Amino acid sequence: MKPNLFNEIEKRQAQLMTRRSLFGNIAAGLGGMALGNLLASDAAGATGLDVRAPRSEGLPGLPHFAPKAKRVIYLFQSGGPSHVDLFDNKEFLEKHHGSDLPDSVRGGQRLTGMTSGQKSFPVVKAMWGGKRCGDHGTWIGNTLPHIQGMADDMTIVRSMWTEAINHDPAVTYINTGSQQMGHGSMGAWLSYGLGRENENFPAYMVLLSQGSGKNPGQPLFSRLWGSGYLPSSHQGVMLRPGANPVLYLQNPPGVSRDARRRLLDTLGDLNRQQAEAVGDPETLARVEAYEMAYRMQTSVPDLADFSDEPESTFELYGEEARRPGTFAANCLMARRMAQRGVRFTQLFHRGWDQHISIKKQLPRQCQDVDQASAALVTDLKRLGMLEDTLVIWGGEFGRTVYSQGELGAPSSGRDHHGRCFTTWMAGGGVKAGFDYGTTDDYAYNIAEDPVHIRDLNATILNLLGIDHERFTFKFRGLNQRLTGVEHAHVIKDILA
Amino acid sequence: MKIQHPLLFLLLGATGIAAEAEPLKFNRDVRPILSETCFHCHGPDEHGRKADLRLDSLAGAIADLGGYQAIVPGDLKKSEAWWRIISDDEDELMPPPKSHLVLTSEQKQTLKRWIEEGAVYEDHWAYQEPDKPKVPESKGDWGKNEIDRFVLTRLEDEEMQPSAEAAPRTLIRRLTLDLTGLPPTADEVQSFIVDYVQRGEKAWQDAIDRLLASPHFGERMAVSWMDLARYADTNGYSIDGGRDMWLWRDWVIQAYNTNMPFDQFAVEQLAGDLLPDATESQLIATGFNRNHMITHEGGTIPEENLTNYAADRVKTTSEVFLGLTMACAQCHDHKFDPISQKDYYSFFSFFNELSDKGNDGNGGINAGPSMMARSMIPDDELADLERELVALKSELAESADGFSKWAAEMRKREKQRGKDFAMHPVEVLDVSSPNRPGPFEVLEDESVLASKPSRGKYAFSHSLRLPPGKKIDGIRVRFFPEKHGDGKSLTPFPEGTPKVTTVLVSVGDQPAKQVDYHAQVLLSQATASSHSEGHEPSGVLDERNLDWWEPASATEPQQLTLTFSNPVDSDTQPYLTAMVFFGRSNSMPFHWKIDAFSGQDTESIFPEPIAAVIAKAESEWTPAERATAMQTYRETAPELDPLRTRIANLSERVDVLTKPHPTMVMDTAPKPRETHILDRGQYDAPLEKVVSATPDALPALPNSEKATRLDLAHWMVDPSHPLTSRVAVNRIWTLFFGTGIVATSADFGSQGEWPSHPQLLDWLATDFVANGWDQKALVREIVSSAAYRQDSSATKEQRELDPKNRLVGRGPRFRLPAEFIRDQALAVSGLLVPRIGGPSVQPYQPAGLWKEVSHFGSTGATKQVFTQDKGEKLYRRSLYTIMKRTSPHPAMMAFDAVNREMCIMERGTTNTPLQALVTLNDPQFVEAARVFAARLLRETDSADDHGRLAAAFEAITNREPKEAELNAMLSFLSDERQRYRSDPEAAAKAVSVGESPLAEGLDHVEHAVWTQVSTMLLNLSETLTRS
Repeated sequence: MKPNLFNEIEKRQAQLMTRRSLFGNIAAGLGGMALGNLLASDAAGATGLDVRAPRSEGLPGLPHFAPKAKRVIYLFQSGGPSHVDLFDNKEFLEKHHGSDLPDSVRGGQRLTGMTSGQKSFPVVKAMWGGKRCGDHGTWIGNTLPHIQGMADDMTIVRSMWTEAINHDPAVTYINTGSQQMGHGSMGAWLSYGLGRENENFPAYMVLLSQGSGKNPGQPLFSRLWGSGYLPSSHQGVMLRPGANPVLYLQNPPGVSRDARRRLLDTLGDLNRQQAEAVGDPETLARVEAYEMAYRMQTSVPDLADFSDEPESTFELYGEEARRPGTFAANCLMARRMAQRGVRFTQLFHRGWDQHISIKKQLPRQCQDVDQASAALVTDLKRLGMLEDTLVIWGGEFGRTVYSQGELGAPSSGRDHHGRCFTTWMAGGGVKAGFDYGTTDDYAYNIAEDPVHIRDLNATILNLLGIDHERFTFKFRGLNQRLTGVEHAHVIKDILA
Repeated sequence: MKIQHPLLFLLLGATGIAAEAEPLKFNRDVRPILSETCFHCHGPDEHGRKADLRLDSLAGAIADLGGYQAIVPGDLKKSEAWWRIISDDEDELMPPPKSHLVLTSEQKQTLKRWIEEGAVYEDHWAYQEPDKPKVPESKGDWGKNEIDRFVLTRLEDEEMQPSAEAAPRTLIRRLTLDLTGLPPTADEVQSFIVDYVQRGEKAWQDAIDRLLASPHFGERMAVSWMDLARYADTNGYSIDGGRDMWLWRDWVIQAYNTNMPFDQFAVEQLAGDLLPDATESQLIATGFNRNHMITHEGGTIPEENLTNYAADRVKTTSEVFLGLTMACAQCHDHKFDPISQKDYYSFFSFFNELSDKGNDGNGGINAGPSMMARSMIPDDELADLERELVALKSELAESADGFSKWAAEMRKREKQRGKDFAMHPVEVLDVSSPNRPGPFEVLEDESVLASKPSRGKYAFSHSLRLPPGKKIDGIRVRFFPEKHGDGKSLTPFPEGTPKVTTVLVSVGDQPAKQVDYHAQVLLSQATASSHSEGHEPSGVLDERNLDWWEPASATEPQQLTLTFSNPVDSDTQPYLTAMVFFGRSNSMPFHWKIDAFSGQDTESIFPEPIAAVIAKAESEWTPAERATAMQTYRETAPELDPLRTRIANLSERVDVLTKPHPTMVMDTAPKPRETHILDRGQYDAPLEKVVSATPDALPALPNSEKATRLDLAHWMVDPSHPLTSRVAVNRIWTLFFGTGIVATSADFGSQGEWPSHPQLLDWLATDFVANGWDQKALVREIVSSAAYRQDSSATKEQRELDPKNRLVGRGPRFRLPAEFIRDQALAVSGLLVPRIGGPSVQPYQPAGLWKEVSHFGSTGATKQVFTQDKGEKLYRRSLYTIMKRTSPHPAMMAFDAVNREMCIMERGTTNTPLQALVTLNDPQFVEAARVFAARLLRETDSADDHGRLAAAFEAITNREPKEAELNAMLSFLSDERQRYRSDPEAAAKAVSVGESPLAEGLDHVEHAVWTQVSTMLLNLSETLTRS
């Protein structure tokens, strides 16, 4: 029996080797689409061994149906961007600026401790104005001039909602499907279900950036990209600026890549001997894991090295993209990851929590992200990758139409607001130049077509070819789902 | 499909069909099917129940539904349920297609047979008090104790054989890792082998005795108990500030080491505060249910937080002690188990009577109720510590060897003060302090002026352009007094002085509004124009806000000067970002300006009088001046840092063992909160009021008049309780076999897995109780079994038929937990500092990880920025590594450690590339390899590569290498030797990782070569595995 087992492993490695050389020789000359397809073929060639992890394959039977999107880039705007100022102003607000929000609109809404003691709730219009954009004349605020120019490529959902009103539960909810801890994040679910698209990168990668509107922004936590009850091999791997983009990636001082290769060869040899002696497939899986680690030692620095990008890239994404760790650089990195077949890339940009000094903070915050967000969509389109790459832009909730603090005071801002907020998407099977859902005159309650955050998540899964109801993981006696226990709807109207 | 092999049936799970000859057992064969596919709509949840039909009881199943019944026992044709199950009409079919639940044909056959055989129901097994089963008579004579009779009978049922005993070396490695979490030493292995040959069973028993008596036993057991109890050193949620709970950890270690009976262990942790005349120890124990996350975030709602805390206590307590997923009944009746929402809140009530507040725990001060208490760790090392401290202090007090050299260097430095010094004005591109509400302006002279400084803690980020063509050696921050009241002052606050807690700098070829935490410029020194008592400028070099610089005067201009470790070339890196953090209340100044400078700082790192002494030639010193200089040397010379670190660490250790420290505890509020059923679990939707009570489906509380938490605790450990003992023995079994007898160790309910050995579970549970809940006796029983001692190799047949080894037909094999992997590397290298207990430590960790996610720069919360410890704290066992919930140690997380946000009963054992990067490249492991290699070179014969390799291999894997393995290693060794010989510089670098002293007297090349060999050995799959 043993020789068989080893033959299979060897065979598989030979296959991988062939694909790697293909990658090395041809990839540079291929467009992103083709490259993605080429790398996707790496998923074939299972050993049939009971190797629990890592596996490049997803679950058998997934995707459930033909996916429209092969990969996702989620530009998560952490802290709660002001939908009123950015996407959802009303002429009504222009007229009623400064008037008190009627109780009938507020309707006994639960307020955070930040404003629950306030005596009045003066309505604040979109402070920087905005304009009708795109062929369908959708309204986008003036602090996002580049995104205004993308209106024809986006679906804007203005009727997002969540029950949560504070950051920790809200951001946990939208990323893991539950306000409670312990659940897997969306990226971890996708890694678990769909597996890796290639042999050089994990399926789920995470990038952080600090907002310059508010610094520090509300804290983040590793659970947002964690695996929860899913196997921990599916947790998001963070890519950081600096010498070690992935933690512990660099060989120690005095150890060259050649030396490491020889060490791994000997290690692999000894591990195989031992696996054979005791019949342990887990040891063979470990040999593979070490090989992938070795590949990552070149694939990751190659990914993070922008020196092969032409000047035009930085004209598109902005000069900030040259500085590692900025949102702009992370957007560019996300495009490079998409080209390399990373299944799910998630950017977390902090600092959207404008309780105070919104006049000062929000324009800076917008400046961080505006050009690069638009550039990413443009760039993917240029590369022919937008059609199967879903870009999502949004946060965990919106902000109140009323002022936190005295109306017009320099220190005033807007409080958290979960009853409605805006998320936009582009590419990956959603309609282009489309609006979905509306709010009332005060941009306070949803008027039509509510989209709960679990509906958004169900829709994202649908675009990836997954029926969210059938995508489950048994834990604590329950068939857990990313979309939770309550009913979630796929928003069919926004599908292209 | 008819399943031929009996074992295949088992491996298909309990949803297969029992062999025809064997009668169906409802709990084993039928309940899992009904639970999975029917109970969701036809189970215990009254509100979610469809068609008024329940199938979890016979009464429900045979109830008259209007002329027909769901099930008519013995009559398939009259059983409506059966027709629905086999219907081909989508509207009729059960379970309905839209549920995505499907019955397999095997499952349908089982249900058919069950109805035909009379639809016999059984109460759920886990809710029945276990009877001590008779130990079965197995055919074979294999085995050492009762456990083996059960295991063998089960194997025989499946026509399988147990495996042979593992080799003695494997046995002692397995046992030592399992009982202490540390590997055996080479000597321990050798002496056991000899002893085992000579004395057999006695030798094994002695080894067990020795290891159970080791203080490391308590540490090993605490590791898993900390996961269950969600122990952490920070509060969690978003801000995640620091807390002190390590006294509770010490209590757990000590409880295990003194073999506290499990009933007492449970009662003290759940309700120690309610015991008559509760001792300090019993109060500390109650920290178990204060380990949950706590928030003080502004904007959160206290009532909601308190609801979350109590819910966490319910979830944790019910899973850990009862194997019940009670949390499922927080929002609605349990879908699968007989726990109503009312049961849930009645249980919740026990944990809702504390005096805790809904918004508490800021500033590193424990959320109440908290107490001051002493550690339970024995202080028998105290005499040694005191002796060592006296010796070290006198060593420091007499240190003079390096004095003249130091004095000469310092003198030179003083002479060169201000050499080539030149200030360079910078251009201010951006100044921001977004979280501060008030205005400020950048004046024409590039200074920053705030007319109304704020009281809070605010950081200001300055994005600056450096002048071209300069070598920049540092920055200077100047503070200018402004008119205030009748005079002038630096700040408008009572003391009038700014307080700078830290300054962070980064540079780049692009302007940056914020400091890049991953590319900070290191600062070599901080000086100032003056400082007030205890607030030296060096305080800003520590990024925490514990120490700060504060000038001596508020009316004069003041300056703070920071020198870079390496100068910055303003042509290649023209943009500098500096963040100045006024991280204490009332510390923000009116007016300041940042400039760059070249050359030597004009100010001294010493206070002026000392600087004056040091500037003089040694020969000119008066005796008093010499004494001043000497004292300064002893207090500040870098070469004495290790000595001072040792003194500081040992002094702290003495304090840990002798002084009171804070820890959170349980109490009962003078006016306890009332508990209501909460509609859909919402804190603001109270329904009916409830009183403390246990779930109806479980045994009643003896005294239910006004039941207390103590009554609850006693109820749990009543010998007749059906769950507590089973759950406890199953959990301990899991530690030694990798999987529980019930694989779902947190769920003994309807959705839990059927036990692999139900009789064995009950035998162990009843025996455990009969032995007075003796945990060490239980462990001894388990590791004394032949089942435990089997070889863990797997044949092809074993792998195919029983891949998860549920039948225990071979020895258990699993990857070591995260903690043991690091501890093993520390132990074999000799770096391990085996002190027991005490506060958590902060060993090596990549820079910037806390800052990038935390509230650093805007809060008084502690643990927002990581500062690495020094000296022995780098080498403590991993259960003492700080657990920061929002950013746990990445090397631990790579190996499936959990973030302790919630109770976790079983960790994963994944196998990933990130793990490889840790054990290959993490400085902790690289240093361990280097130190191990140095030991090897010193302790083995230099002429004999072969022998030395064998010794190294054996020291790490605890076995001798085979010839083929040796050959592979020899070839690697000779390659490495050739490489490092041709590149001695690389060799020198390769043996310099880590803060432990560099090996003296060793050839760098040989040391580097053997360091690589050691790294490879530490990365062997076998090393990472307990086989």
